[in-house]
Amino acid sequence: MGTLRLLVLDGIAQARSTWTLLVRTLHYILHAPWDGPAIRQQMFSVGNRSVVFVLLTLGFLGAITSLQAGFQARRIIGDTSLIGQQLLPLLVRQLGPTLAGLMVATRVGTGIAAEIGSMVVTEQVDALRMCNAPPADYLIKPRLIACVIMLPVLVTFGVLAAFLAAMGVAYLMFHTPPLVFAKLDFVHLLDLGEGMAKALAFGVSIPIIAGAAGLDARGGSEGVGEATTRAVVSCSLAVIVLDFLIGGVAFLVRT
Amino acid sequence: MIEFLHVSKAFGRQVVLADVSLTVHPGQIVFIIGKSGAGKSVLVKHLLGLLRPDSGQILFEGQDITGFSEKDFYPLRKRCAMVFQHSTLFDSMTLVENVALPIRKHRGLSQAESLVAAREKLALVQMERLADRYPSDIGDGLRKRVAIARALTLDPMYVVFDEPTTGLDPVSAVRVDRLIRRLADETGVTSIVVSHDLRSIFGVADRIVMLYQGRVHLDGSPAEFRQSADPVVRQFINGLPEGPMEL
Repeated sequence: MGTLRLLVLDGIAQARSTWTLLVRTLHYILHAPWDGPAIRQQMFSVGNRSVVFVLLTLGFLGAITSLQAGFQARRIIGDTSLIGQQLLPLLVRQLGPTLAGLMVATRVGTGIAAEIGSMVVTEQVDALRMCNAPPADYLIKPRLIACVIMLPVLVTFGVLAAFLAAMGVAYLMFHTPPLVFAKLDFVHLLDLGEGMAKALAFGVSIPIIAGAAGLDARGGSEGVGEATTRAVVSCSLAVIVLDFLIGGVAFLVRT
Repeated sequence: MIEFLHVSKAFGRQVVLADVSLTVHPGQIVFIIGKSGAGKSVLVKHLLGLLRPDSGQILFEGQDITGFSEKDFYPLRKRCAMVFQHSTLFDSMTLVENVALPIRKHRGLSQAESLVAAREKLALVQMERLADRYPSDIGDGLRKRVAIARALTLDPMYVVFDEPTTGLDPVSAVRVDRLIRRLADETGVTSIVVSHDLRSIFGVADRIVMLYQGRVHLDGSPAEFRQSADPVVRQFINGLPEGPMEL
């Protein structure tokens, strides 16, 4: 019972520090000048350094989904021409953003928590505060802006990679012509909106959650390790929960 | 003048400071000494708002800063700088960019203007030729010099040094000691130095405050410490492994 209570209290404390960091960062986004070079550097780190990872993951996901769906379709209805039409909306509104979000949570979220956590335990964050550079402004703001810009880009590339891989597999394995596979009739504007809304929500949540975990790091390397673990768990959980919530809202809008 | 009045601080169940009261007069060099974990760094960080006390008051030039917000502390941090224990230069910036950061942020100068001013500050500590190197390219002694240049860049009237000579070779350590002395003698800077370097303590201090078990154990001049018969003080200043001092 005591352990459960401690877990709940720790969860509440984490949620509070994450919320406070979000409010502070939004305040600095609106009221303080933007550091262009720092934002560009973070965009490179979030986007360029993650793109291969995201393309590979989503490419394989598209190939696997196409393969499994093709087998099932051929076995049950004997026709594989509808796979592409069914797969694309699913990729755009669900699998693309969620998988890309999870990949970014893993690669970028841990990086943010480890870097900021190390800065905390080596007193670099205190030194920043002494220099009139609040961590929310100096460390979190460029990362948040970079993630908000780069997540939709990564999702777009990821969806394209997944779709192209799926199309290739469908052609090679089931001889489905690419023009038949790539029919866009079933993709609606709302699907695109849902996918982009998820990408933006992940772009906000990942740097804030990971940044809060890093700023809460205590002790030495063990504290940084704990912060990194907490960041990847919390960021992944946030991606799944936000995916469900935004998906639910989109469903209500559709119906 | 800086006053700590009945300051207490605990981290979880671990009480680090228990009712600490201490006054630092202008122009003085006050050494805060004590064994590792005695709360020396914790105490000085309260002055700069880097930690907040659980109870007690802190007065800076007569003004109660205990309830200050983070924003309220920024003007104070312009007048009261800190040299951190591990230099804490920012790894991603060159040395000159490290020194330029407080100039840019506190004075609102452009990046180019702040870099020019930072180069001048680095020249004062004979580091201008290494200005465009990164912290990882230089040794501990040089990093400490850059950290001191960064702390002094806004011409503060108070400087907190957290273990400034730890990890330095004897020559670099003596240079740092001399710098602290010179700052007090030539510009009237008040220095609070956290240290357990006995050579520095007895070579530079105007006054020594020893923390033990979260309290001020002895507050006096170097001569008073040398003459003290207190067994804890004797053990500390003689560096004896056996004695009443708790591990």
